[in-house]
Amino acid sequence: MKRRASSRVLMSTGCAALALGLTFGLTACSSGGTSSSSSGTITVLVYGDTGNTVEKQIIDTFNKTSKVKAVMQTIPGAEYQAKLNTIINTSQAPDIFFNWGGGSIAPYVKANLLLPLDSFIKQDPALKSSFLPSVFNTAVINGTSYGIPMRGTQPVLLFNNKSVLAKAGISGAPATWADLLADVRILKAKGITPIALGGGDQWPTLMWFEYLYDRVAGPTLFQDALNGDKSAWASPDSQTALSMIKQLIDAGAFGSNFDSVKFTDGGSPALLASGKAAFELMGSWEYSTQNSADPAFAKDGLGYSAFPSVPGGKGNPADLVGNTNNFYSVLKKSKYPQADADLLKLMYSSEFVQAQLGIGNLPTTTNTPQYLSTAASPAYDEYQYNLVKSAPSFQLSWDQAYPPAATDPMHTAVAEFFDGKLDANGFIQAMQNLPTS
Amino acid sequence: MSALSIATRTGRARARRSGAGATRPGIAWAAPATLFFLLFAIVPLVMVLVLSFTNWNGLSSPQFNGFANFSKLLDDPVMRQSIGLTLLLTALGVLTQTPISLLLGVWAAGPQRNRAVLSAVFFIPLLLSATAVSVVWRAILDPNFGLPAQMHWLFGNGNLLGSQSGSIGVLTFVGLWQYAPMHALIYQGGARAIPEVLYQAAAIDGAGRFRQFFHITLPQLRTTMVTSVILMVVGGLTTFDTVLILTQGGPGTDTTVTAYYMYEQAFQSFNYGEASAIALVLVVVATLVSLIVVRLSGYGSMRSEMEGL
Repeated sequence: MKRRASSRVLMSTGCAALALGLTFGLTACSSGGTSSSSSGTITVLVYGDTGNTVEKQIIDTFNKTSKVKAVMQTIPGAEYQAKLNTIINTSQAPDIFFNWGGGSIAPYVKANLLLPLDSFIKQDPALKSSFLPSVFNTAVINGTSYGIPMRGTQPVLLFNNKSVLAKAGISGAPATWADLLADVRILKAKGITPIALGGGDQWPTLMWFEYLYDRVAGPTLFQDALNGDKSAWASPDSQTALSMIKQLIDAGAFGSNFDSVKFTDGGSPALLASGKAAFELMGSWEYSTQNSADPAFAKDGLGYSAFPSVPGGKGNPADLVGNTNNFYSVLKKSKYPQADADLLKLMYSSEFVQAQLGIGNLPTTTNTPQYLSTAASPAYDEYQYNLVKSAPSFQLSWDQAYPPAATDPMHTAVAEFFDGKLDANGFIQAMQNLPTS
Repeated sequence: MSALSIATRTGRARARRSGAGATRPGIAWAAPATLFFLLFAIVPLVMVLVLSFTNWNGLSSPQFNGFANFSKLLDDPVMRQSIGLTLLLTALGVLTQTPISLLLGVWAAGPQRNRAVLSAVFFIPLLLSATAVSVVWRAILDPNFGLPAQMHWLFGNGNLLGSQSGSIGVLTFVGLWQYAPMHALIYQGGARAIPEVLYQAAAIDGAGRFRQFFHITLPQLRTTMVTSVILMVVGGLTTFDTVLILTQGGPGTDTTVTAYYMYEQAFQSFNYGEASAIALVLVVVATLVSLIVVRLSGYGSMRSEMEGL
């Protein structure tokens, strides 16, 4: 007992030291921001990247009319989740923070740190009704809303190189799984890698599982598994989906060196753009990636389509997977909940929608269509918006839907299944061993 | 004989005289460094020790779970594999870096005319961060657009990072490329300190270059070599940044070394308790390995190389 008490003292000093270090770090990167503890301010913590211009603009708009001032802080990309996790239960915690919904906030909900947004929504129903339901639901946990969409949606699409397909005599994107297999055979015979895959990153590999499981079994299988029903992974539908993926791998669809290729260092997008590969399954950001590398290719050479349907499968061919959106969640201990609510209301304002479209993001508010013509690439944005709007199910990426502790073992399992190191039973076992809460 | 003993006696006397006026520095002088060491080395170590017996996700307060983390690690194939991999990478690092840096260092210690320019070129990797080096080599080894795409006779299909042996080879090679210059620098300093008279005497006795190298340079560099090997071992056991950028522990878990596994558990999975247990295991393994190196090399009872001079 004594040992336990003394250890807690030790731990809290450690946390204080850690938090102290972080404060210095944060003050250094926030532009002239003041501490959240001073009266009359709320702190908004955002994932640091080029999209921050819009977040800053909206916060400036908010500060023009509000007595309580909002201060934006950023944590650079890759370190965001790790640093957020270190400060969220300390006095340095922000009032409002960026997240991916689903598993990225589930541990915080469980630890009773987040404010249910039901009272905000009751006060202003537009805070819910202004957003596409399939997106809004990502931040609903156990029936309670915990987040408001605050950036753009990023569904996963099957991209292709139009001229490569044309040269191989393939007319358009594959509509069914059988079409895709036929295309793979044709392309392989011509010496082209049918599908570019950044296997080194592992999460691009996961996208194939997300879509195949949806098309074969419908969205419920994964939901059941996520809710703790481990037998879902061993079901016949699961076996079917795995055998179809295996069929694609064995047909040589991904070539032989995908484990040495990454999306994040530009390897797999370059394969597609240079015509060495014909397809790539990727989030909608593929367009902006290609656009920054080679605008001419993005405009004329890059084709895109929804994932092929699987005849006889239980999933609706209009179902999507990907990142539904990013969300703002509010901490329970925030001193100015009214100010928090007022700031969240700006997330469906016309200023917000236009600013997001201006930097190439696709917001998921119901008023988005009326501004689509002002977007950087109207046709592409309209295509995506209609897909998202009419999708019966929009499954959040598995690695975001599960809690963070599951990410690494999940990535390892999908990579090893593609390598042939795990067979179907090994994969099923690995998925059953994932922590679900 | 008598001349030599007189020389040592006067030397000893001089040393005593110069030290007589100065007092030994008191404990106060050591206080700042001790405080820093306590705060940033001992305190975290103790905290890790405590945390390793808990279950903590960083949100709620840690729950004691006794030896659960350790028994879990004992059954964890990834953990067991990671220790083997760490030792393997360390051994490969020592075996590849030592000969190359030894030759480079001894060569750079010589009087050649182009030595300074070439040495400067060789030492460039030393100036780059491990992260930058890893990013560059990833690009060079890209299977579709890098060297392997042009050199199929050497790299096959270029899937270097897709197999365990390939990934370990790449990690070893990049480590060699990056760290050999530093060890060459150490050997250069060691080689410069070898008295010229030894070579002159050997030349008179008719010893050629190779005999001089094996019978004078190598034995004279013995302590330098021990220093360099210990640095390599410590660096090898804590290899992290190259793994993070080049392989991310993959393919699968084939290059998940202990330090990287600890990072995954702590900062991706938020299992701080288990990560602390891994850290503790790494501390124990590293301590054992350095003890073995010290014992085998006779570092503790190091003799001078100047005997007989």
